[in-house]
Amino acid sequence: MVSPMYIIAAGLGGAFLLGLLPNKWRTIPYAITLAILGIMAWIAGSWLYAFAVQGAASVEIFTAGTQPPFAINFRVGLAEASLALLTTLVGLHSALYMKDTLFKQGRQAMAVLLIFIMALCGVIFTRDVFNLFVFMELVVIATAGLVLLSADRRALGAGIKYLIVSQLVSILLLVGIIFLYHATGTLNIDDMAAAQVNLLQGGAMAFFLLFVAVLAELKPFPANGWGLDIYESAHPAFSAIFSTATGGATIYAADKMLQIGGAEWLPAATAIGIVTFVAANIFALVQNNDRRLLGYSSVAQIGLLLTVAGQRDILGDAYYYVAGGILLAHAVSKAGLFWLSGLVAQRELTDWAALRSQPVLVFAFATFLALLVGLPPFPGFYAKWDLAHHLAAEGRLWLLGLILFGALVEAAYLFRWFGYVIKREARENGLAWQSVKADVAFSAVIVAWLLAYLWGHLSGHGNLLHAVPLLFALLFLPLDWLPAKLKNVLAISGLLYWFYLNYPSYDPLQLIFAAVMLPGGALILLASFQTQKRRVGFYPAAMLMFAGLAMLIVAKSSFDFFAAWELLTVGSYFLILRGKHSEPHALSYLVFSLGGAFLILAGFAIAAQGAPDFKLAALAQVAQPYAPWVFAMLAIGFMTKTAAVGVHIWLPGAHAEAETDVSPMVSGILLKAGLFGLFMLLITMGKQQLYGVELTYVMLWIGAISALIGNLMAIFQEDAKRLLAYSSIGQMGYAVFGLALMNHLGWLMALMFVINHYIYKSMLFLSVGGIAKRTGTRLMYRMGGLITLMPLSFIAVMIGIIAMSGVPPLSGFGGRWIFYNAIMTAEYRLPMVIVFLAGPIAFLYLFRLIHTIFLGQLKDEMRKIKEAPFWIVLPQMIFVVALMVFALVPGLALRKVDLYMTQFFAGNGHLNWEGLTISSDFGYWNPVAIMVIIGVIFMTLFLWLLFVNRKAQPVKQFNIVFSGERPFRPETTHFAWNFFAPYRKALGFLTQPLVTIFWETVSELLHSAADILRRFYTGNGQTYAIHLLGFVIIVYMLWMGGKP
Amino acid sequence: MDWIAMATGFILILMGLYGALTERNILRIIVSFTVANTGVNLVLVAVGYMHGRTAPILDKTVPVAEAVARIIDPVPQALVLTAIVIGLGVTAMMLTYAYKLYEEKGTLDVSKCRDLKW
Repeated sequence: MVSPMYIIAAGLGGAFLLGLLPNKWRTIPYAITLAILGIMAWIAGSWLYAFAVQGAASVEIFTAGTQPPFAINFRVGLAEASLALLTTLVGLHSALYMKDTLFKQGRQAMAVLLIFIMALCGVIFTRDVFNLFVFMELVVIATAGLVLLSADRRALGAGIKYLIVSQLVSILLLVGIIFLYHATGTLNIDDMAAAQVNLLQGGAMAFFLLFVAVLAELKPFPANGWGLDIYESAHPAFSAIFSTATGGATIYAADKMLQIGGAEWLPAATAIGIVTFVAANIFALVQNNDRRLLGYSSVAQIGLLLTVAGQRDILGDAYYYVAGGILLAHAVSKAGLFWLSGLVAQRELTDWAALRSQPVLVFAFATFLALLVGLPPFPGFYAKWDLAHHLAAEGRLWLLGLILFGALVEAAYLFRWFGYVIKREARENGLAWQSVKADVAFSAVIVAWLLAYLWGHLSGHGNLLHAVPLLFALLFLPLDWLPAKLKNVLAISGLLYWFYLNYPSYDPLQLIFAAVMLPGGALILLASFQTQKRRVGFYPAAMLMFAGLAMLIVAKSSFDFFAAWELLTVGSYFLILRGKHSEPHALSYLVFSLGGAFLILAGFAIAAQGAPDFKLAALAQVAQPYAPWVFAMLAIGFMTKTAAVGVHIWLPGAHAEAETDVSPMVSGILLKAGLFGLFMLLITMGKQQLYGVELTYVMLWIGAISALIGNLMAIFQEDAKRLLAYSSIGQMGYAVFGLALMNHLGWLMALMFVINHYIYKSMLFLSVGGIAKRTGTRLMYRMGGLITLMPLSFIAVMIGIIAMSGVPPLSGFGGRWIFYNAIMTAEYRLPMVIVFLAGPIAFLYLFRLIHTIFLGQLKDEMRKIKEAPFWIVLPQMIFVVALMVFALVPGLALRKVDLYMTQFFAGNGHLNWEGLTISSDFGYWNPVAIMVIIGVIFMTLFLWLLFVNRKAQPVKQFNIVFSGERPFRPETTHFAWNFFAPYRKALGFLTQPLVTIFWETVSELLHSAADILRRFYTGNGQTYAIHLLGFVIIVYMLWMGGKP
Repeated sequence: MDWIAMATGFILILMGLYGALTERNILRIIVSFTVANTGVNLVLVAVGYMHGRTAPILDKTVPVAEAVARIIDPVPQALVLTAIVIGLGVTAMMLTYAYKLYEEKGTLDVSKCRDLKW
């Protein structure tokens, strides 16, 4: 094996060799550069292999043949070899990427590149502080040189600012080094660490100077204006190295410094890191320039790494796994994104829409974002999970909260950007396509997935990339070129087969959810046969969501549960984003969902208290005082998904703007994931009290208010799909209410809602979707009289609203019946009254739905429309049959569950199932008899009505006048416009969008704060130098104040 | 003696920093940094100085056997030499930038480079 020393030697030698070549040569110097970088990478790779696979011990290299402190020594172990491989590979790829530029600039530029990469490796390897200084200065000089490779003229200014700041840094470094040498008598890092500098005369001060100088190179907030300018103006391939390799090497240098400083300095690193992470992410919110945004994100990630370095004392063995996961995720994604940015011709974020012309680039972009945000199955996800658990176990909850907050802000701006890519208008020639550049960027995608596999392999929780549902979903990526119909068949068979395969292992509760999610999903997918062509991107997203759902219901441990939760969140986000106008709504969905997911993560982390593998069942044993907090966090997380009032504002837009077959999926199926979580939570944790308040009682109120507000909002909607969406908020409110009753019947009713809501909401969304497809509008006052033209849709809506309103004879009544029984046994009266009130309100919006769409006058332009397409009608008809069957024999689904639930409430209040009659303590319910009686009454009245109305004359369409005036807005005179105006007068005050205003204000505050505070980066290099001095002084005051 | 060198060194550093932060002309900034670097080098040497000892050169006057007791610590001096070389490199780089700046904008005023911000 070649000594790692040759990595340095090769770089230096190569650079000298290039200096000897004639100035005009281009190809040969370029070939030499690539070869040298390749050799360096190969040496680093072979050592990495030796350490990681063969288990070799780390090697020490003594220059000049003597031991330290008389000579400089290098150390190469697993961490060093990985970082060196990362550095050299990024260097090699960037050299490939910059071919044109390097050819233009000639051998000098190539030599500088080699020196740059060599010096970074030196920073990583060296164990001598002065040698570290030398390599860091080499990095500075090489950086200043390479910044000028950019075609952007402004890079010159960025370079000057950088040089000014780095001069300050080098003064601090040198003074620190010499005094540290004076105090310890050595320059060797390990000897210094052994000497305990903090105890020596002047040692702490000397160390402070050295440490703060190294930190300054990490671009900590606020002393980082110069770094951002470089990111914005440098060549993207250079920025890729600057962000990943420089960042990685410098953070490693900071880690070495912390070894000298000892545990005393860890809090300083933590504080500086977390402030940088949060501040940089908030500032990034208002960036429009892609590279500057990536710069802010790089600064933030390095801040996060510094925070992790500050947790060294508690991470123990997991330190390198966590730090490595975050570092590599940052490095690969950032390099990839900078390389992608070279393919985009213009610099606004919205210009990235040009990527759409090459779907593979969109895939690459999505991979990088997921990697950066730390979504499963990527390394950052595992790392964040472990980090959160360690922090929670040690009680560092503030830190955990800040990290999750920063990560949420980061996810928000990154996925907003993704929304631009998918939805914004792409300019012509927006893509500066060069296949070499695309290949380089795509190599990062491959590395990303390899790392995902590796981190899964190393994690103690099992590899997510071994999960069959996830693999099945990912399979649709390479198959995306197939026609949509074929993929649909594959998707449906996959869902059904997975259900069939697991059917025996589900318990009754899981079975209900699984039946709704898997065969239920397959049923809705029938509607997808309607689409033509390839429908690129739909199936990977949809199947990702279904994979998450399938994994969620069988999850045993908190890790599996959370991973599945994030998968279904991401999948559904991609799915919702497909709607024509859904860009802002998909984003709001994602931000709320991730916020909820982070709460769940924090809840699990606190519950586990450091246990490596936490079973969900163990939630029952969480000790006081954590238990109520864990309960609250998990419950809020789950209720974000069920869109409980307060965190519901994402739902209407997301569900209404989604595609025709997506709306039923995200409404009928996805909402149930939240209910499943709540079931799991209540089964394990039961009732919890926080400061004497019964938390389930709070949930009861939330459920009741959600039911009321959801229904109330629904009756005032003009848009049919929005009406249905708001109605989901109300329906989920009922279900949450039922669960929070904490009695047998309440839970049974919630389950009834799981089934019912799936059936009728999916059916109604499909009918309304089909109608909207034919009429070209979703506004109800633009429709009318469609009963004769779309009779099947009418039947579906009719049956749907009967079922949903809870009037006999359909299954909605069964739900109500169980519900009324349930509240008879509960002692809470006021929320009960609210829920009662919500019932008739639901009837109002349902009535509006059927009246304004199907009855009344037919519009002129709609005289020739046809029934909705076959594939959209077919599942509706199946749903009609299912509703009928479920109404007649609810025992089919509920009986087993009823029995299963007796174990939680000692059999109290469970139902008696005798034949077709179901009886409770308060009465009985015979579905068949009810059906017959209602049928007879209905037919009698119907026939009588026909008889009485036999002479009625239909009013002609234009048989009205407006006092001889032409109305200013004709649609406002339509009876369906503002249908419930009187109610609005009476109850409208309840529908003030207070919650929306609240969340908009939060977002607005963050944005304007960022916009004001970023003006702090004036663009003046000397101001930046003053920032740096200010930073030094602040750190000094906070950590050195009072010490010698 | 050594405290004079040390004090002078720190005064030079502060003078250099003051100049670098207040001057607008890039050439003056470079000169300021050179002054500060000289100060740093003085401090380095001053820290390594030991009373009553001689230069760390082994020859007839300082036999190897007595070297440990008679010469000063050679390491800071080696460091200063390296630091001077590196300082030269950085100064050359900054001068190149000054040249480029003049070529590009026709001015040596660094405060004119403010088109990148926020």
